[in-house]
Amino acid sequence: MTQQNQSKEQAAENIEVWEDVVNIKDLVFSMLICSVTALGGYLIAPNDSQQPLLFGLAGVVIGFLICSIIVKPKRVLRYEDEE
Amino acid sequence: MEISLIFEMVLAAIFGAVLYTIIGIAPGTDETAVLAPVTLILVLAGMEPIVLLSFFMSAIIAKKLSDSIPVAIAGIPGGVMSAPMVEHAMVLKKHGLADVSIRKMASGSVIGTIISVPLSLILANLLIPLGDLLSAYSSQIFFGGAIFLALMSKNRWLALVSIVPFALLIQGLRHLYWGVGAVPEDVTVFTSFFLGITIGPIILRLFELLNRELRSKIPRREKNLIILKRQEPIKGFPNPFKILDKKEVLSSSGSSVLGIITFFMSPVGMTIFLGETFTSRIKDPIKRASRAISSMDGVTNAAYIAGILIPLIAIGTPLSPTALGPGMALFNAPPVFNEDHNLHHLLSMNEFVIATVIGAVIAICLTYFITMKYAQQICSFVFKYIPHEALLGVFFGLVLMLAYMDAGVINIFGVLLIGLVAGILHRWGVNYGVQFMILYAAPWMVGHLVF
Repeated sequence: MTQQNQSKEQAAENIEVWEDVVNIKDLVFSMLICSVTALGGYLIAPNDSQQPLLFGLAGVVIGFLICSIIVKPKRVLRYEDEE
Repeated sequence: MEISLIFEMVLAAIFGAVLYTIIGIAPGTDETAVLAPVTLILVLAGMEPIVLLSFFMSAIIAKKLSDSIPVAIAGIPGGVMSAPMVEHAMVLKKHGLADVSIRKMASGSVIGTIISVPLSLILANLLIPLGDLLSAYSSQIFFGGAIFLALMSKNRWLALVSIVPFALLIQGLRHLYWGVGAVPEDVTVFTSFFLGITIGPIILRLFELLNRELRSKIPRREKNLIILKRQEPIKGFPNPFKILDKKEVLSSSGSSVLGIITFFMSPVGMTIFLGETFTSRIKDPIKRASRAISSMDGVTNAAYIAGILIPLIAIGTPLSPTALGPGMALFNAPPVFNEDHNLHHLLSMNEFVIATVIGAVIAICLTYFITMKYAQQICSFVFKYIPHEALLGVFFGLVLMLAYMDAGVINIFGVLLIGLVAGILHRWGVNYGVQFMILYAAPWMVGHLVF
């Protein structure tokens, strides 16, 4: 498949959520990753006082980093020079 | 006060300012949905109350300063509250004055903050004698508030009719959890329901994606095209009183004062109302727009700060939209805080002042200085490298985790249910304010429904 076709197909799956454009597959992927890392962190943590929460939080941060690396933003920036 | 505690407060404030400068710039991030979960986690993690307050003050000030940047540069709101400014910012942008509008907005914000910190503290002090009375009748006040907000909203009859059924859903789930033994009978699940409401619109969207017919009907958009203006960097430390002219300083101060007095009203509503009132008589479109954005940014900041400080200091119950939304965790976050044991009861007046001042000063120094100098660079970085999907994923993950923490696996589905209903109501025009008021008043309302 050529790159153009690919981007066209992807474009067909882009929708607006919270005033920005997201790709359906990427969104589902990100939500899965973040849920797994967050709950995973919470569940594997040693069960005393605040440990589960901190592990869960660390999980969310890891999930965020993974998603930011894999998923490309759907925004297109264009610069306009000030006259 | 110990030095180490002050050090912790400063660190927490820096953390809040940096994090929410970035989140503030990301387009469309809702204040409640991004501030409430993080604050809640810090509360549950056992952060000192005074440190929490300086974090929170710094976070809201930074978020309010930075969410107007994308408005000026690209014409897209960084948050719900900056949406009313888009129209005016676009006028300035059309005349090639995007850099002017960032400076005017941020200066308006700073003026709003400088005015509202002392004034809110004074007003809160005056209201302290009324505090006990107000908090004794808080359920009734929330019920009245839900009706009032419902009547003010666009689809008032729909909003009015949905009050009792939504309260039944909330209380129904709580009784179900008690019945099946998901939580002990003295535990009332609150925070995860609250978060379910905040991410309701997203949950509704997700359910729709699972329906083939609805999925094909959702409008498609290929890309979000954002046009940025190149900016000249500013030298030295920007002085807000020099950036704004005398009239702008006056009108942003005046509207800030009004924003503080009306702390119990919806800040978005007040921003639109005051912004338009103060500028409707100006003829020159450029002058009018720059007066409008500086005043509006002043109001949003002032209303937000007053909305959190006054209920915290004087009442102890979240009787303002800001406290009910982003600041909820400071009032009610079982098992750490509840209605009889929260920041209101734990901090003295001096501690409130110190935490607020530390938070405000750090947020202004960091965010104001950085946004003035590097507005364009920060915007391009956020737009280029932070995918919207990742942000949505993060908040979804946080909500799931907190749902599980509150009442186990059953509550993950319970929160999905609440989110689905809240999302539909939200789309039909029953705003967050009404829904949060219902959440608060639900036990009292349902208790009075049995005849």
